[in-house]
Amino acid sequence: MITSINKDIMPENWYNVVPDLPEPLAPPRDSKSDFSSINLLNKILPREVLKQEFTFRRYEKIPDEVMEQYQQIGRPTPLIRAKNLEKFLDYNGKIFYKYEGATASGSHKINTAIPQAYYAKNEGVNGVTTETGAGQWGSATALAASLYKLPAQIFMVKISFEQKPLRKIVMNLYNGNVVPSPSNLTEYGRKVLKEHPDTTGTLGIGISEAIEYALDHDYRYMVASVMNVSLTHQSVIGQETKKQLELLGEHADVLIGCVGGGSNFGGFTFPFIPDHPDTEIIATTADEVPKFSRGEYKYDLMDTGGILPEVRMYSLGADFVPPSIYAGGLRYHGASPSLSLLINKGRIKSDEVTQDEVKEAIKIFANTQGVIIAPESGHAVATMLKYIKEHKNDKKTIVVNVSGHGLLDLSIFGDTQ
Amino acid sequence: MKNLIPYFTLGYPDNQTLMKFLRIMPVNKINYLEFGFPSNDPRYDGPTIRETHKIGNKNFNDNLYKDLFSYFHKNRIKMYSLSYYSDIKPKFNEFIDYLKSRSFSGIIIPDLIIDYYSEAKDTINYLNKNGFEYIPFFSPATPDKIIIDISKLTDSWIYYGLQPSTGIDIPYELDYTTERINSLLPGREITYGFGIKTEEDIKSLMKSGGSGVAIGSYLEKMLAKNDESGFLEYINRIRGALDA
Repeated sequence: MITSINKDIMPENWYNVVPDLPEPLAPPRDSKSDFSSINLLNKILPREVLKQEFTFRRYEKIPDEVMEQYQQIGRPTPLIRAKNLEKFLDYNGKIFYKYEGATASGSHKINTAIPQAYYAKNEGVNGVTTETGAGQWGSATALAASLYKLPAQIFMVKISFEQKPLRKIVMNLYNGNVVPSPSNLTEYGRKVLKEHPDTTGTLGIGISEAIEYALDHDYRYMVASVMNVSLTHQSVIGQETKKQLELLGEHADVLIGCVGGGSNFGGFTFPFIPDHPDTEIIATTADEVPKFSRGEYKYDLMDTGGILPEVRMYSLGADFVPPSIYAGGLRYHGASPSLSLLINKGRIKSDEVTQDEVKEAIKIFANTQGVIIAPESGHAVATMLKYIKEHKNDKKTIVVNVSGHGLLDLSIFGDTQ
Repeated sequence: MKNLIPYFTLGYPDNQTLMKFLRIMPVNKINYLEFGFPSNDPRYDGPTIRETHKIGNKNFNDNLYKDLFSYFHKNRIKMYSLSYYSDIKPKFNEFIDYLKSRSFSGIIIPDLIIDYYSEAKDTINYLNKNGFEYIPFFSPATPDKIIIDISKLTDSWIYYGLQPSTGIDIPYELDYTTERINSLLPGREITYGFGIKTEEDIKSLMKSGGSGVAIGSYLEKMLAKNDESGFLEYINRIRGALDA
C-alpha cells in the first residue's frame, strides 16, 4: 500500500490525450445557426479553462497554488492492493484500487474543481455555478469555491436532491447554495417546470440552468465532465497510479473505471494510452444508461437547452431521461468526445452492469476491503468481478478506479438489507 | 513573398457583388484565392461563413464565374476550392474534373480527415494521381501522428486553422502553436487561417516562419456591406503586415 504524501508521486503537469489520439478529435460545432455557441464559451468559462479546453499541449503545468491545494485535500490518493478481495475471489492475479474517496470531498471531482475555481478567482468574477447529479461534483465545487472564497450556486438534479439530503448539507457546510433542478432561478428551469411539472430532472437540464445563471450573474460555469479540460485535470489520478505501480514494480494489464461523462475514467486511464498499448481498458456504464451499446456516435448537445456547442460523442440523445438509478453521476446521456473516439476506434472496451450487480459489488467490496464505495464506483467494481470470473486463470494485474466513497449513498440499501 | 489568400464563398452575398469585388481585387497583392463551394452542412465554419454558405447555395451560378476564373488563372493566381467531403463525396471524381476544367490548382477538404479518416489516404492518392493538389487542413485538435502521416502524402502547402471554427475567438498561445507545427513539419510551407484579425497576429505568425495567411470572415463582412474602399484598404494592410 502506498499512502505516502510524498510529492514525488504527484505529477507536475496535467496530461492531455488529444495529441495522442489515433484520429483527429472532431471539433465542437455550434448548436444554433444564428450565433456561435463556441464563442459564447468566452463568457461562460474562465479564460484559462477555455484555453486548456482547446489546447493541443500534451502537458500543462499545474500551478503551484493548485498543487498546494491538491496536497491539502489529500493528494496523492492511495493505491491499495485488494488482497482480501483477491482471497475472497480466489484470484491468482493481483487487484489494485486507486481510492479517490480519500479526498476531502470524498471523490475525484475535487481534482478539477480546484483549478477551475482558482482560475475563476484570478479573473475576479462574482462567483461560480454548476449542476450536480449525485452531489459529488456539487460538493467538490462548493469546497473549491470556499477555498478561494467565491460564492457557489449549485443546481442539483431534482431526484438526487430528494434522495440525497445529506449531500445538500455537505454543500451548505462548504457555503454552497443548492437548489433542485429544474428550478425557478432560471428561465430555462421555469420553462421545463411548466411543461413537465413532475420531472425528476436531468444533468442536461442542470447544465443549461447553470450556464444561464452564469451568463446572467457574471459567474463562471464549472465543468464537471465531458469537456476535455476536466479530463485533463483528472489526469492526476492516472499519473499517480502509474507512478505508484512503478514504485511497486507492477504493470497494469487491465484498467477499469466507471463512466458518467468520462472525467474520472479519462483521468485514470488516458495517461496510460501513449505508452501502455497492451493494457486492456474497460469503461463501465449503467445498464439503464447504455450509451456505448445503444447510443449513437454523432454530434449531439452537451446540455438539454442547447446553449453549449455540440460535440461528437456516444449519446442516447440530449433529451434522454434516464431511470432513477442509484448512481446519479452515471445518468448523463453522453460521454466525453475523446473517450467516445477511443471507444469508437476499439482502443477502449465498454461494459454495462445492472443495479443488482452494483449492489452486490458494493457489498463484496465493503466486506473484504472495508471500504463503502460510491454506487458509481460500484459499477467499475462489478465489471471487475465479471472480468475476473471470465479470466480466472489469467493472473492479470487489474487496477480499478474507485472514484468516490459511498457513505452518503447508503440509502440505496435501506429497504433491501 | 508571403502568401495572402483571400477567401470567398461563391454566390455570396450575391453573384454580382462578389464578381464586382473579384474584379477590383489587386492581383499583385495576393497569391492564391480560396473559393468556398456552397455547402449544405458547413459544420466546421463559424456563424459568418455558415451564413455565406446558406446564401451562396441559393445564388451560385457557375457560368457567371467562368471568365473570372480564367482571368485569375492567366494572372497566375492559383485557385483552390474549399469543399466539404460530405457534399462532394457522391460525385467526387466529376467534381475534381470540373475544378480542373475551371483552372483550379487544388482543393481543401476540412472534414476529410475528421469525418472520413479511413478514406483520406485513397482520396489524397487519387488527387495526386490526377495532378491536383490536396491541401492538408489541420487544427490544434489534430494529433501529432496524423499531421505527420497526412503531410507525407503530399508536397503541397499546409493549411493550419488556429481556431476550432472560422471567425471564432478562443484564447490560444500563438508562439506555442507555431512552434508545434514547425517542429512537426520542419521546412514545410504553413499558411494560417481561422480567426486571424489583427496585423499584429499576422506579423507574429510570419516572424515564426509562417508562409502566409488566409482571410475569410472579415472580407465576407465587407462584401455584405458592399464596402469596396474598406476592402481594398484591408487587403493593402494585410499585404503590408505580411511584408513587414
